[in-house]
Amino acid sequence: MTVLAGAHAAQADPVEVISPQADGVSVTIYRDLFALITETRTVDLPEGPVTLSFDGVVETLLPESAVVTDLGRALEERNFDYDALSPNKLLLKSIGKSVTITRTMPGTGRVVQSRATIVAANSGGITLRTEQGNEALHCSGLPERLTFDELPADLHARPRLSIRLAAGKAGKRSIRLSYLAHGFAWKSDYVARLNPASTRMDLTGWITLQNYTQASFRGAQVQVVAGKLHLIDIDDGGTSLTGNSDNFSDESELTEAREEARQLLQTDLEPKGSALQLFGGCHALPEPAAPNQSHDESVERFDMVIVTGLRGSMRMSMDVKQNAMLVEREELGDYQLYRLPWATDLNARQTKQAVFLSKRVKIERYYSYVFNAQNVRNDGDDEDLETITPASMVSFENRKASGLGEPLPGGMMRMFDTADGDELFAGEARMSDKPVNVPVELDLAKALDLSLAIDVRRPDPEELRDAELSERADVELRAFNAKGVPVTLEIRQYAGAYMPGATIPKSSDRFRRKYGDFAWRLRVPANGTRVLTYRLEMPDVADDQ
Amino acid sequence: MRNICWHLFTSIGATLATANALAAGAAPDREVSLTIYNKNIALIEHVRPISSPAGRQRIEFAGVSAQIVPETVSFVAPNVVLIEQNFDYDLLTPAKLMEKAVGSQVRLVRVNPATGAETSETAEVLSTVGGVVLRIGTRIEVLREDNLPTRVIFDKVPENLRAQPTLSVLINASKPVNEVARLTYLSRGFTWAADYVAVFDEPKSTTSMQGWITLHNTSGTSFANARTQLVAGDVNLVASEEQWWTNWQQRRSTNQRSSGTEGSGREQLGDYYIYPIKQLTTVANNQTKQVSFLDAGAVKASKGYELTFYGFQSNTEPQSAEVRMRFANSKAGGMGEQLPSGVVRIYMRDARGQPQFVGEDHIGHTSAGSEMALKIGDAFDVTVQPTLVQTRRITKRKAEYDMSYLVRNARSTPSVVTLRQYGLWRENEVLKESISGRRIDSGAFAWDVPVPANDETTLTFTVTTSW
Repeated sequence: MTVLAGAHAAQADPVEVISPQADGVSVTIYRDLFALITETRTVDLPEGPVTLSFDGVVETLLPESAVVTDLGRALEERNFDYDALSPNKLLLKSIGKSVTITRTMPGTGRVVQSRATIVAANSGGITLRTEQGNEALHCSGLPERLTFDELPADLHARPRLSIRLAAGKAGKRSIRLSYLAHGFAWKSDYVARLNPASTRMDLTGWITLQNYTQASFRGAQVQVVAGKLHLIDIDDGGTSLTGNSDNFSDESELTEAREEARQLLQTDLEPKGSALQLFGGCHALPEPAAPNQSHDESVERFDMVIVTGLRGSMRMSMDVKQNAMLVEREELGDYQLYRLPWATDLNARQTKQAVFLSKRVKIERYYSYVFNAQNVRNDGDDEDLETITPASMVSFENRKASGLGEPLPGGMMRMFDTADGDELFAGEARMSDKPVNVPVELDLAKALDLSLAIDVRRPDPEELRDAELSERADVELRAFNAKGVPVTLEIRQYAGAYMPGATIPKSSDRFRRKYGDFAWRLRVPANGTRVLTYRLEMPDVADDQ
Repeated sequence: MRNICWHLFTSIGATLATANALAAGAAPDREVSLTIYNKNIALIEHVRPISSPAGRQRIEFAGVSAQIVPETVSFVAPNVVLIEQNFDYDLLTPAKLMEKAVGSQVRLVRVNPATGAETSETAEVLSTVGGVVLRIGTRIEVLREDNLPTRVIFDKVPENLRAQPTLSVLINASKPVNEVARLTYLSRGFTWAADYVAVFDEPKSTTSMQGWITLHNTSGTSFANARTQLVAGDVNLVASEEQWWTNWQQRRSTNQRSSGTEGSGREQLGDYYIYPIKQLTTVANNQTKQVSFLDAGAVKASKGYELTFYGFQSNTEPQSAEVRMRFANSKAGGMGEQLPSGVVRIYMRDARGQPQFVGEDHIGHTSAGSEMALKIGDAFDVTVQPTLVQTRRITKRKAEYDMSYLVRNARSTPSVVTLRQYGLWRENEVLKESISGRRIDSGAFAWDVPVPANDETTLTFTVTTSW
């Protein structure tokens, strides 16, 4: 390959063995825009030292992540060459070599061929030595073309990973090659159909796989991994295109960063037309010199990714096929691994969907409003507090008893009401990863036909001081339900670390603690009003000594 | 590539205008060595036989890095006095070829567009500014003004126009030279990093650990059969490359005095770790090359869950525990090597026995004997949900908090979660706790919370805090 046999070469050249393709491939897709590709390949190795080259690897391969196992002999080094064959690279690698120049004479169409040596080829143009002397290519105005005798050995039409192996036993071996490659993504989406009484939902979970690369996998074993991996930014030697995962404090930031990186990557891997061109430049039109630029930098700009496939379109089907084969789940370390139970073709620039969950789940539908009376100042014109719209919520227990009890990889949950056979979009919510036994509460939409008015009254400062209090708020909350059915409303009064010693000494309704807050559950009658009153107090305390 | 890089450019008849010097050649490298540092820089040494007649001679070195830092070139050969060294960037292009032909003769071959008949004339190039002005006999013309096909043929290529950047030295030799020269310089376009692959076998509490040096050559030049070594350590502490080079030269000369051999000077680069690649290797341009430097089969390793909280608050969503792989880089633990900084990629086997990627973490330069706790990722099924249950105000700047941490384990195996609570300074007391904890530093406590399989455990504690 690239081993140069100089006059002083000390070692015997290893025999080159090329493995053109994988026998079998497994693709494990992660949420962070990459996949682990595991290939099995059969190779026939001779006894002596070998350079084993793997063709047909994914072009976005991360060479430092490659692992080759089951070789049966010592692996001395591995090399990844991605000097893709392009007209520019062909010229560059042919400097000093002899080529044929073909000129077609005007008028007669006579074709004249002669031998020439490429003396120089760079962004300033191509200089040749012909039998007559030195001259520039494509400057005479004659139709001219170069014919190369052979392909330079180290240019590849496709990226190539090669390894150098020590001598060992000759024979056929089945080996495994694995590596990480960018340009893959997956997501989970949920479709929930609520029954008319909103007491249960038919929940379908979809896995959507996306392959943005130009690699196609035939009969591939496909898995996806749900969970949050710790990743290092690619610029710091890691794998992540979204940055160091420690930089994200919450899931929505991470989701946003992933989306941003995905769009960038997609643009990156998009077909870029046929902008390939040979080196240009002639003596009649002198170009400004760029002295510090190395050859390859100027060439790099012309390197193009050619994509032949078409981009698949993403469809969110709402129908679960009867008896649909479900994706299988297993634990992988502390993550969930979902496996397509059948071998599948994952084609270049393709989107694929599969069902991984189909359950009938008990739910509760209610409305919720969280607030802090301490922040409500009694200045007489609290218009904001006269028409408050609570959130429309759906909650469920992720337990077998509720009909579920399955890990739920985070994703968009879209809910539909069914009434008289019609389906109505009830709202959507982004759900984070949900393990079994963790309750799920989803904020779907703003409520319609349900509003609140809140009135807060405070005593004058003297009265407060006499009662040894730093705060007393008498809250009156009215809920108006314009719906034809009664609804459940949950009110939460904040009681966190910023309100030490907060109590509710008086309340019209029973309350409990939820997430550390004071919480009430109210039944608001159909086309009716419901009133909640309570008193919030915080003690006054002595100064520090 | 090999023709450009390793073919010797003995420019025929090369003369310097000022000195009566002949261009002499250096033979191909007898040895080439690369010392690659972490940060886009390498020290390259070529050892080449040179031969030239006595007197002032120019010697050209082809095959040097295209990203050479010219001011760092050092040329040493016995019995040779160096006069000057040049690095020519003047690339041979059609335009340059014409510019350099101003004042000299070229041949024009015109082709008749109707008949295809060729006519040849000799012309003198007068100017190349905004077009080529020629004198043909007594006529003055502009090249290809008529747009008719016209080839321009140059007898020779000026010797200072190069197909690639070329290094040359001008020497003065009192007698004919037949020596071995040593050419050293710094070059950009080289990086290396360590990459580790760990296949963690949780049931067996071991991990394999393979270390690879990954080096990347974007210098524009390939180096065949190079003696290669990698230096771990931050060399960019000094402001400029030139200053760094000066320091390096001083350090090297110190070493040479003490050791008395040139070759060993390298092994004493201050406190840096050096990783020599055992055999000669070819470092091709635009190549990512990996060489194994560590292969430990069964290092003792264990998994742990951790989560750190910095304040006292309630969360509506449970938080995933961090998963860490703990191991000791010690001889007793199965390793005990100097580990250069890099990224460790961790794999675990799925139900079918196939290794799957589970996460990665960065390690700094790590000496033997260090305890490591690499973060793998967040546990899907082990979560912690904090609730500030009750608060009591003691004074204006002091309060008591009842905290409760609900630790859930949806896994089929029991787990222990190490929970760290910050915001607990020296004056803060833990009044009550459901599991006994420990102070881990001046601002934090830690509790190890055991959780049975498919179950949950609530850690509660009461603390006084002040602000």
